[in-house]
Amino acid sequence: MPKDSPFESAEETRDVYKPSRATRIFTIWRKLKTSKLAVAGFGIVLIITIIAIFAPLLAPYDTTWTGRSRRPPSMEHLLGTDASGRDMLSLIMYGSRVSLYVGIAAVSLEILIGIGIGMCAGYFGGIIDESLMRITDMIMTLPELPLLIVAVTFFEVRSIHIIVLVMGFLGWPYIARYVRGEFLSLRETTYVEAAKSMGAGSWRIIVRHILPNILSLVIVLATMDIPWYIFYEATLTFLGFGDPSSPSWGVLLEKGYLYLTTAWWMITFPGIALFFTSLGFNLFGDGLRDALDVTERGR
Amino acid sequence: MITVLVFTLIHIAPGDPAIAMVGRHGLSKEILEKLRTDYGLDQPIPVQYLIWVSKVVQGDLGYSYVSKRPVITMIGERIPYTLELMLAAEFISIAIAVILGVIAAVKHYSLADAVASVGALVGYSIPTFWVALVGLLVFSFHLGWLPLSGVITPTEFPSPVHAFYDHLTHLVLPAGVLVLGWTAYLFRMVRSSMLEVLRQDYITTARAKGLRERIVIYKHALRNALLPVVTYLGYSMGFLLSGAAVIEYIFAWPGLGDFLVTIANVRDYPTMMGAGSIIAIMVLLANLCADIAYAVVDPRIRYD
Repeated sequence: MPKDSPFESAEETRDVYKPSRATRIFTIWRKLKTSKLAVAGFGIVLIITIIAIFAPLLAPYDTTWTGRSRRPPSMEHLLGTDASGRDMLSLIMYGSRVSLYVGIAAVSLEILIGIGIGMCAGYFGGIIDESLMRITDMIMTLPELPLLIVAVTFFEVRSIHIIVLVMGFLGWPYIARYVRGEFLSLRETTYVEAAKSMGAGSWRIIVRHILPNILSLVIVLATMDIPWYIFYEATLTFLGFGDPSSPSWGVLLEKGYLYLTTAWWMITFPGIALFFTSLGFNLFGDGLRDALDVTERGR
Repeated sequence: MITVLVFTLIHIAPGDPAIAMVGRHGLSKEILEKLRTDYGLDQPIPVQYLIWVSKVVQGDLGYSYVSKRPVITMIGERIPYTLELMLAAEFISIAIAVILGVIAAVKHYSLADAVASVGALVGYSIPTFWVALVGLLVFSFHLGWLPLSGVITPTEFPSPVHAFYDHLTHLVLPAGVLVLGWTAYLFRMVRSSMLEVLRQDYITTARAKGLRERIVIYKHALRNALLPVVTYLGYSMGFLLSGAAVIEYIFAWPGLGDFLVTIANVRDYPTMMGAGSIIAIMVLLANLCADIAYAVVDPRIRYD
């Protein structure tokens, strides 16, 4: 094999320059830092995560605390108390755990299914692609909330995990579309052809050569989807399809609705918490998209 | 195909509709059995589906388990309200989004751009139903400017104009909340699409020809920038219906969304099946309209 053969150089580039993981994260961070909004988003996400993790340490009262009910915000209870005499601030802090769990769990599920299906469709093509995309389009055109309402009502039990499962199983289509789009274009690249000509199997090409390249796209999509799932859970709960035993922000809002005219703080603060969480993830996602230089060509 | 999915999903659901229909107490096994036979609930799911489809083709969506009325009539009463709400929200959103989007893109990096962009970010990060509740609290309850809920105040009106005005005041809040969320999306679409078009060579050419800026922007740029936005409008039906579900419920707006929430809470299967299918059909029709509109706006697109 001559020295300047492309095959040999493909092998060589491995040792030439391979930035370590830390370096790559640092590069992304440096790009992210150029946008103030993205940094703010990252900050909000970080704060909410810390609150969720350390809720028992940070919350001024525990969630069973009962004193006088429906007291307006005061120095003692910064955000007031709810109908059962629990401190709203503490409830919101504990609620962040459920809401974040919902967002992250549903998105993880959606990504697993989305990548799997997008990958199959994009890599194998043909009839597999055709039929998978039909199903994808079908689910994608249906409006999410009505679909979720119908889907959640099959289950006799009202459980937060079931809501997560339902959302994950209905949310994958558009991830699958993006992933398929990426696969279609990456499949034609020279380096995949090179890998193929060197005898790499489908599985190896998918895992080692294509997946790493769609990872950043998936991360961006995931970040921006988290607030949606938090919203959907809150909305479903609010409409009476939720799990009353998991004190998510949706449950707080549902309770607050009962006292809409007499206790404004019960509905105002959980909503603000939802808003900031969503804002944080959206800003962070926008920043990540720019930093990772993701072009959305899946559409 | 969608109906197969919805139908199967609804029917694998646990919870016996016969029991839901008559309440949990005080009925003997024989009566329950009879109800199941009467409504065809003892048949296997595929058979139930075929029976259902053959009736649907004849315009019969069955009867509600709860109110015992024909499903098609119940849905028929709801559709006009949903359409009214959605069309109002759609047109206002498009108008605001296009105007703001063009301004933001033309004056890129200006104060107006920054304010509008941050506004859009807030608009889509804010939970819709929460805005609805706060709006209700502030404008209807505390300020008393707008009515609390429903579509019209149940009184006598001196003239149809008064009645119409009263109806409009009922529309303001629900439509306004829908507009907030949808405008935020559309604005981002219009802005980014407009920015991309303004970077194209033919815009430079048009300017170099000495055309007035106004003509360059509205005739050359905007028309091309709106192409991707038009395809996006197809999704708007889904988006607005999604938002409408919760907003109609809050404002007691008697549309399809409120309907779905109510019947899902009582597991009224034939009605859910009907409402689900009608919603799906509406969304598909909207997508079809968007495809056609796309071909009209973009002469390069031809459907064979």
